Amino acid sequence: MTTANPRAAAIDMDLPPHARHVPQSHWRNHHDEAEAAKLGMWLFLATEVLLFAGFFCAYAGLRLLHEGNWIAASHYYLDWRIGAFNTCVLLLSSFTVVLAIRGAQTNRQGMILLNLFITEICAATFLVLKLWLEYWPKWQKGELVGAFFSYGNPQGTHDHLFLSVYWIATATHGFHVLVGMFVIAWAMWKAWKGHYGPKHYTSLENVGLYWHLVDVIWIFLFPLLYLA
Amino acid sequence: MAIASTTMTLASLAPSGLVRAPVPSVLAAEEAGWWDKLWWGGKTGISTYGDPTDHVFFYIFWVSAFFFVLLMGLMVYFAVKYRRRPGVPAEPSPAHNTALELAWSVIPLLLMAVMFLWGAKVFVDMRVPPAHAETINVTASQWAWSWVYDNGGSSLQQESIADVNSPVFGLPVGRPVKFVMSSTDVIHSFYIAGFRTKMDVFPNRYTILWGQARNGTATHRWNAQDKRLDEIDPKQPKLYLTCTEYCGDQHSQMWARIALLDDVDYRAWKESLLDTSGVPLLELGKKLHTSKGCISCHSLDGTAKTGPTWKGSWGTDRPNWASPVNDGSDGFKDKFGPNYIRESILEPAHYVREGYPNQMQSYQGKLTPRELLALITFMQSLSDNPEDRAAAEAASAKAQAESEAAKAAGGAAPAGDAPSPEPAPAGGSGGGH
Amino acid sequence: MSGHHDVSYLAPKETWWKTVYSWMFTIDHKKIGLMYLTSVIAAFFLGGIFALLVRLELWAPTQTETVGETSRVIGQLFHGDPAKGITGNNIYNRMFTLHGVVMVFLFIIPSIPASLGNFFLPIMLGAKDVAFPRLNLFSWFLYVTGGIVAVAGLLLGGAETGWTFYTPYSTTTSWGSVTAMVSAAFILGFSSILTGINFVVTVHKLRVPGMGWFDMPLFVWAMYATAIIQVLATPVIGITLLLLVFERIFKIGIFDPGLGGDPVLFQHFFWFYSHPAVYIMILPGMGVVSELIAVHCRKRIFGYRAIAFSSIAIAAISFLVWGHHLFTSETAAANIVFSALTFLVAVPTAIKVFNWVATMYKASIAINTPMLYAMAFLFNFTIGGLTGPPLATLATDMHLHDTYFVVAHFHYVMMGGTVFAFIGALHHWWPKMFGKMYNEKWAMLATALVVIGFNVTFFTQFFLGTQGMPRRYATYVPEFTTLHRISTFGSWLIAAGFLIHLPVFIHSLVAGPRAARNPWGGLTFEWETDSPPIEHNFPHEPVITHGPYDFDTVVPPNCDPKEWPLPDQELVKRVHGAH
Repeated sequence: MTTANPRAAAIDMDLPPHARHVPQSHWRNHHDEAEAAKLGMWLFLATEVLLFAGFFCAYAGLRLLHEGNWIAASHYYLDWRIGAFNTCVLLLSSFTVVLAIRGAQTNRQGMILLNLFITEICAATFLVLKLWLEYWPKWQKGELVGAFFSYGNPQGTHDHLFLSVYWIATATHGFHVLVGMFVIAWAMWKAWKGHYGPKHYTSLENVGLYWHLVDVIWIFLFPLLYLA
Repeated sequence: MAIASTTMTLASLAPSGLVRAPVPSVLAAEEAGWWDKLWWGGKTGISTYGDPTDHVFFYIFWVSAFFFVLLMGLMVYFAVKYRRRPGVPAEPSPAHNTALELAWSVIPLLLMAVMFLWGAKVFVDMRVPPAHAETINVTASQWAWSWVYDNGGSSLQQESIADVNSPVFGLPVGRPVKFVMSSTDVIHSFYIAGFRTKMDVFPNRYTILWGQARNGTATHRWNAQDKRLDEIDPKQPKLYLTCTEYCGDQHSQMWARIALLDDVDYRAWKESLLDTSGVPLLELGKKLHTSKGCISCHSLDGTAKTGPTWKGSWGTDRPNWASPVNDGSDGFKDKFGPNYIRESILEPAHYVREGYPNQMQSYQGKLTPRELLALITFMQSLSDNPEDRAAAEAASAKAQAESEAAKAAGGAAPAGDAPSPEPAPAGGSGGGH
Repeated sequence: MSGHHDVSYLAPKETWWKTVYSWMFTIDHKKIGLMYLTSVIAAFFLGGIFALLVRLELWAPTQTETVGETSRVIGQLFHGDPAKGITGNNIYNRMFTLHGVVMVFLFIIPSIPASLGNFFLPIMLGAKDVAFPRLNLFSWFLYVTGGIVAVAGLLLGGAETGWTFYTPYSTTTSWGSVTAMVSAAFILGFSSILTGINFVVTVHKLRVPGMGWFDMPLFVWAMYATAIIQVLATPVIGITLLLLVFERIFKIGIFDPGLGGDPVLFQHFFWFYSHPAVYIMILPGMGVVSELIAVHCRKRIFGYRAIAFSSIAIAAISFLVWGHHLFTSETAAANIVFSALTFLVAVPTAIKVFNWVATMYKASIAINTPMLYAMAFLFNFTIGGLTGPPLATLATDMHLHDTYFVVAHFHYVMMGGTVFAFIGALHHWWPKMFGKMYNEKWAMLATALVVIGFNVTFFTQFFLGTQGMPRRYATYVPEFTTLHRISTFGSWLIAAGFLIHLPVFIHSLVAGPRAARNPWGGLTFEWETDSPPIEHNFPHEPVITHGPYDFDTVVPPNCDPKEWPLPDQELVKRVHGAH
């Protein structure tokens, strides 16, 4: 961390930051570094998919055990319209992230910042709606996980199992959205400092990839939970 | 089948209750050789699928031994022959040989295909019980096995295994039995090594395991006079039932002895399980605690399990226990005494002690009046009050004496004795309510 | 390159504080590898102590007086009543659980990849570091955090559920702190995942120009295959442990039969990771053995491509066989499928062993500690591997499942395999990592004690298993006493062996002779660097001029040709023909 990078000496300091990015000293060239970063991110996304696969397997296993109850519980406890709206919000946010990357590719700094900002707003909207319209009412009514389920008017004998899967899957997803918000904020800060441009926007791309994954996971969660 | 029924008919002609000539068993036939002792502890050929399983095992073993000796032999030979000599380089040789590599890929694959197919075939035999198998209901709990035979009886015989008082369960020789198993708490696993099979036991579903001991493998005989199963030959290897899925503190103490009996003995013994009149009250109560499954929820050492402990419960006040079912009208059940206990066993949902779930099954129709009394006497013997404990012993001894006197006089044992008096309000024993 | 990059990576800085800082916040893969090395060795000794205690309890068939006395002391100390001490059973149950948890999560999974893999993977590729050096440091921090949480869990009483944490016992037991132990494993899992990502990208993107996939040393292939499994399988244990913690804390009920859940679901989740995990444990060992045999036999590995592809095949098939841990829980149909698939994974494994033995043909074999451990690996891993089929075969598994046969099988592959490869690798690369040589005679004595002790301990357990001795038992019937005693005695031999290995290494660091750059005559890039390597590994980017195992045609770098003679080159050309 303290070693001087000899390649840094040859850089023209009048260029904007994105045009004078120096790869880390163990990389032979900028292209290798960028490709490696993307490969690393794809591998990380694979691990996230496998993590969420656990929720999907739990869903499948428990639904097979209690089929009728499960589907009825989905209709009884969840409002598909909130879920659908949130889905549209996330889809929009994925689109704006792509636009931000396009902005970097075409060196339009304003476009980067604006679209990242909209993405951030969408993420916040998603979380606020989830907390305010779904989590909070459920908490108040006692529609909780497993043994804490205390809603006075259940519609079946295993409602708490459906709600367990609902809560932990959406909460973990929500946590990833929250982390995503921090990561997008960091990207916004870097964009503000001029770090993204046509020659260098790797970390913005990686942020975008992460955000798309968060979106894709929701695309699967939504129909399974809300449209059972 | 014809042979089996003829054997049974002939055997039924022999008078029971007399000492009979020991039936030769595979276990007793000759002292097992060192090979069988090393691999199986001397227990071979007991179940009908035991030998086929062992044959598969030895096929795998000899194939493995061949390759192991070959490979290690070559390794040692090469290490010696091609030991590094200073100044002498290794002689060049090809670094791959397609024919050889193909051979040593395909041949092991084929040998293993045989292992898989043969093993799967024997396995399917092990999993599909014959239609006429006798059912035995097995319940596993922390930390004891409870078997209920198809006539409703449970074994009361116990022996010390690894310093633990463990049940002895009888099984017939020459007939298949089917175990229908479930657990009351966590996952256990039912393993009879001598039979070469096991099956996990779950709390949320039934699992089934079947087995049949081969003719001639009997290990015990029924001693009708002493009402006991006796070992035919104490020097022969013992058959055990063990739990093979870790289930907590006393996982290694869930032993049971398996007694293989000739069919006639087995039927006679099974009959006798229904008649617990000969067992002294206290001893019967203690055994019923295990054999009827009370142990799965009620401890004897003070630990709270799914249900309250029996230790120190006798004589405690009922009003101290709040309960939504309390209607306060049953004055004569105000204390933990005979009437309260009787109600708890036959109608458990009527009064549920605070802090415990309303989960107990009713034993209506599953206990004789004497067995009920035995349980009551046993609980009294667990009282914190030494006078109560003495009273329990006295009651049991008195009942035993009366029953022996009645038998000596040629009459039947009394159908049901009177219960002990209710505990006195001041905590002493004796007196009315 | 400026001058200060030519110093050894071990050289201290100007001040004491700067030196410590340079280790705590390093991004040098060698320093990180070394820190992992010390931690995994410490974890090994901790896990080993638990093992010795387990075997000590099993000396006598029923509760020993010592354990009973300990229980009384604990009861008096903590509850003022000797009768309230936790039972000997409880202590034993914690010992075997913690032995498993510490050995699996703190020792064996990181062992070779995080220590030697971190150190040598970049060097073997001719690179200056791994793809993501800062992520590497983060992996290390995660490992340390996981270790701290594990130690905290130990102090809170550990756990007594078995390292497999089967529900519903693990979700309902109140002993110790299951949540702490499981959380530690969760954190350690992420350390493993990030290391895996790092290694995959390093192999793809940091090879020296001119080094194709089939020019890489087999150790690299093994690291790559391991990393693939780490990336794809470890997240599944992550979610599994998360669900377990949720079940304990929030009572979500998915594994609780009382709430409508299914405990066998947990078993599927758990083994979906834990089976590939055992290949995370063994593949690096196999990679090491390829290196040890090639170098110490001065022979090109027979069937290079077969070994390379078999590593990938093992990684792929490993994801398909988890059900063989559930043969006694599942339906006959599922069992038949998993039994067949399990036999598939045996074929690439067998191919490797055949190739290694074939490599020794017409070789020039040095008998030293690394080679002894390589041969010990062949001997013991083969036994371990051959005792897999009785467990994969359905009929025999019904008898052997959850008996000592399984315990013996997995110790033969994990200890007789991975641990022996690890120790052999340590001796092989010791002079390179530290620039010091160890005392070969004492090392060989220790080797003999460890290998003989290991076989005495675990070979007897095969027979305990076939005779019906269940595993995780603190007490047993007298019939099993003799075999248990022999096994316990073996454990003391192992302990003695390791208690000699350790001072041999320490002595070498403190007072050992200086090691040459290439004492064994190896041909892979690490033997071209200094012993110990400089900070950036190579003064100039290395150029690839030969394959990793061209012992017939290339004089080893930094070696005297007179001491490392080549065979007649005409003969070589004829034998290797079109190659």
